[in-house]
Amino acid sequence: MTLGLCLPAFAALGGDLSSVQADQTHMKASLKTTTGQAYTLQEIKTPSGAIVHEFLSADGRVFAVAWHGPSMPPMQQILGSYVQQYSAGVQAHHAAHVGRSPLNIQQPGLVVQSSGHARGYFGRAYIPGMLPPGVTPDQIR
Amino acid sequence: MRKLLSLVIVAGLGFLAGCGGSGSSTPVGVPTGGGGGGTGSGNTLPIAVDGGPVTGVIYPDGAFTSVTLCNPGTATCQTIDGILVDTGSFGLRILSSAITLTGLQALTSGSSTLFNCINFVDGSFLWGTAAVADVEMAGEKASSETVQVIADPTTFTIPTECSNNGIDEDNQAGLGANGILGIGPEPVDCGEACDPRFNGGVPPVPSPYYLCSTSCTATSVSISQQVQNPVALFPVDNNGTIVELPTLSGAAATESGSLIFGIGTQTNNQVPATAAIFALDSEDTFSVTYKGMTYNSNNGTPSFIDLGSNGLFFPDATITVCTDVTDFFCPSSLLSLSALNSETSAVTGDTSTVDFSIDNADNLFAAGNGADAAFSTLGGPNVGGGFDYGLPFFYGRNVFTSIDGATVPSGTPPAPWWAY
Repeated sequence: MTLGLCLPAFAALGGDLSSVQADQTHMKASLKTTTGQAYTLQEIKTPSGAIVHEFLSADGRVFAVAWHGPSMPPMQQILGSYVQQYSAGVQAHHAAHVGRSPLNIQQPGLVVQSSGHARGYFGRAYIPGMLPPGVTPDQIR
Repeated sequence: MRKLLSLVIVAGLGFLAGCGGSGSSTPVGVPTGGGGGGTGSGNTLPIAVDGGPVTGVIYPDGAFTSVTLCNPGTATCQTIDGILVDTGSFGLRILSSAITLTGLQALTSGSSTLFNCINFVDGSFLWGTAAVADVEMAGEKASSETVQVIADPTTFTIPTECSNNGIDEDNQAGLGANGILGIGPEPVDCGEACDPRFNGGVPPVPSPYYLCSTSCTATSVSISQQVQNPVALFPVDNNGTIVELPTLSGAAATESGSLIFGIGTQTNNQVPATAAIFALDSEDTFSVTYKGMTYNSNNGTPSFIDLGSNGLFFPDATITVCTDVTDFFCPSSLLSLSALNSETSAVTGDTSTVDFSIDNADNLFAAGNGADAAFSTLGGPNVGGGFDYGLPFFYGRNVFTSIDGATVPSGTPPAPWWAY
């Protein structure tokens, strides 16, 4: 384990800019910032081509993350304090039926959707109540 | 042996087999039941949508087969049934608990053993040793290839980087199978991102590979020693596959078909002149247009064909989702739908209209006294994503998958591509 490279477990989803920087360090990645009207988009790109988009609202909180690339992102790192809720959602998905299908966790406080195949993973997570006015889930990519 | 090992470490690229146990637990008998019948011949391996090997549990729309594992270079072999055939992953992964063969060796470096991890999009993961085996399917053989032997460790814990807050499928009930045969459009499970010649010796995060003794460290592994798509290692018929399942309308207890090895290498694997061919984009995906929306990797909604997905999964908020299992659709009546497949960026320029139907999953599962395993009209939501053409797409279509980097027939684009 590369524990020495992990910063303290700042929350990413629901966290602030420092959590984005923690994610960047953990994933040994570059960071690019795009500021829009409704939100600021931080793009974290790893050397292997994995991309994580972290969406920050005007008050500087991460309300959504989206990912695509050759591996699943480190969920603890990008979901922060929401990771236990994610984990419970995965367990429930698995208990519901045998087989392989996209993941669709839809709870009042957390949405996580994950699709794709090995070496091509796509997904997003967001806090519905934190979406800035005018921002729809379709923009979280 | 120690000298050899130190040489290998200096080279920084390789691991040796034969210096440690495979980590297998006490072998148990090969489970019986469903799980694909027959071992085939030539380049044709029988597959069956038969509910899989778990007693009392139907795995809906999963294609199962048997593979033969051998101690490398020997005739000491074991045929294992209940292996899920998957065109959405790469490499052979088998539960240690299904392996009775005792001679398989894990790759090692010094006193550490090489382990492999795969995460699936549904949050599940598989952990196990990277071991070397000869893999025989029908009349084909992949010699000394790296496979994953799935088992939980006993002397350390699985790195959280691998488990990733997901669910461990280290047993038959959890996996719904005795293993997974990944024969998708790539030759290995990681590629350059994990190879020290290309990644500067820095493994990706999360890493698919770890060296473990009492604890684990993420490691790089050369492409030739990564978990390999066995088809790519065949001496012949190694450039891809065809999955053939018969036409199905509705539900059936079982559907039997074939996995054909090679494309354009034998009389039974020629690409028909009428086939639509879709060159894949860099994410191994393509483009689908449905109800006026286009789903591809350009807009973050990639679409793909994946035998290992057990339904047709796509975004359509107008279709009622089942209340008990929200992963499937439960419309009040049969829906007839249509989509248009194309490439993300035109190479062949081919397009193809796909007519399909979605039925009420609750009714499908309940019909046939709950014994049916094959459903042509099973589907579910892929909210926020694109089209995931799972197993039902394959009924009545011979679907070709060529492997990245392989030599393909003249007149076809460079691999990887899908054709049908």
